[in-house]
Amino acid sequence: MMTTARTIAFTLNGQQVSTMIEPHRNLVELLQRFDLFGSRESCGQGLCGCCTVLVDDVAVSGCLYFAVWVDGKSVTTVEHLDADGTLSPVQQAFIEAGAFQCGYCTPGFILMSHQLLKEHPNPSDDDIRHYLSGNLCRCGAYPEIIEAVKLAAKR
Amino acid sequence: MIPFDMVEPASLQEAVSLLDPQEPTIRPVAGGTALMLMMKSGVFQPTRLVCLHRIEPEHARITLVADGALRIGAMATLRQVEKDADVAARLPVLKRAMRTLSNVRVRNVARVGGALAHGDPHMDLPPVLAALGARVAIAGPKQSREMPLEDLYAGYYETVLEKNELITAVMVPALDGRKAAYMKVTSRTADDWPSLGVAVSFAMKNGTISDPVVVVSAATAKVTRMKTAEAALNNAAPDDASLRRAGDAAAEEAEVLSDAHGSAPYKRELLRVYLRRAVRQALDGSAE
Repeated sequence: MMTTARTIAFTLNGQQVSTMIEPHRNLVELLQRFDLFGSRESCGQGLCGCCTVLVDDVAVSGCLYFAVWVDGKSVTTVEHLDADGTLSPVQQAFIEAGAFQCGYCTPGFILMSHQLLKEHPNPSDDDIRHYLSGNLCRCGAYPEIIEAVKLAAKR
Repeated sequence: MIPFDMVEPASLQEAVSLLDPQEPTIRPVAGGTALMLMMKSGVFQPTRLVCLHRIEPEHARITLVADGALRIGAMATLRQVEKDADVAARLPVLKRAMRTLSNVRVRNVARVGGALAHGDPHMDLPPVLAALGARVAIAGPKQSREMPLEDLYAGYYETVLEKNELITAVMVPALDGRKAAYMKVTSRTADDWPSLGVAVSFAMKNGTISDPVVVVSAATAKVTRMKTAEAALNNAAPDDASLRRAGDAAAEEAEVLSDAHGSAPYKRELLRVYLRRAVRQALDGSAE
């Protein structure tokens, strides 16, 4: 069977990179090769949001996205949010609101909250609940997460 | 996922030529969100995927055509449909359905054509679009064809598409004053695969329902029109008694299947109730 790895080139967190990857690998697996572990494959079905990655500034489930599809695109992971040495307003708000317990789902929530605030700068509770409905927090920090999003919106 | 070959043709025509009418392990992939689930679970093991994301961008456009109909290119993402101004203004029922259709990330990636061609009866777009009288345009190696969306489905995960045919667009006629609603019932989270989907559309003439279309999904093996429920609604005033008759007719007519989202008797009861609610929602335009 012809399943040759191919070379892809893309922008990863602002840096131009290239690598060899097979067609059956997903985006989470690709990121792991760059020692980026913020995007985690958890449910593996696009339901839980732990694998959230931005591709050309659009949020995707990394576990349901073929790695080779990022060829020529720009990929942003949670690791890039504090690239300038300061936490993003959303990250800061999550800490202040105590919007996590174990932290496993947090990178996904943070990236989705960034996207949410871009689309809804002053989100209602309903906006937040709908936008983040595809992110699961098994510690049940939802009330604090909603508070954190509102806090970040004010900044 | 097990290894496979992947090709990324630059045109629709080339994509069609790379498919094989005899080979079920060669399949087209649009957004891949549904297909990858099948591949991860081992239900589908491709030898080759023909990715459609590099074909001509015109296939991802949503255009308003002359008679007020919308032509939605098969490669338009669900998110494009959700955010399209013409969809919002002319087909609010379609925009509303998007809100609980999976989640933002999946809608960002999943494509209209894939959602229609996959043949999964739990998907939301097929019942909504079928109730709106949508037609699908299909391209094959020799000729193109067109058919009502409701005729696309042959059974559980089965369509009448040949293995080397691709949906290129869906044409949705203008509502033209017709009322429409789609309701779904999920047994776990709001954006889960539904236990039942029910879509209705109808005209109102002098206080009575006229030319109704009732479509059921998820509870049945395929998207199905409920003809006896339609007959019960036709020329009836939308009062409690007629809605009850229509709900009972649908519950009687539908061939309901049990699955992880509910038993057949449970879903039959849901259908009885939610058909009534869908008609009421179509009438008063309420969101829930």
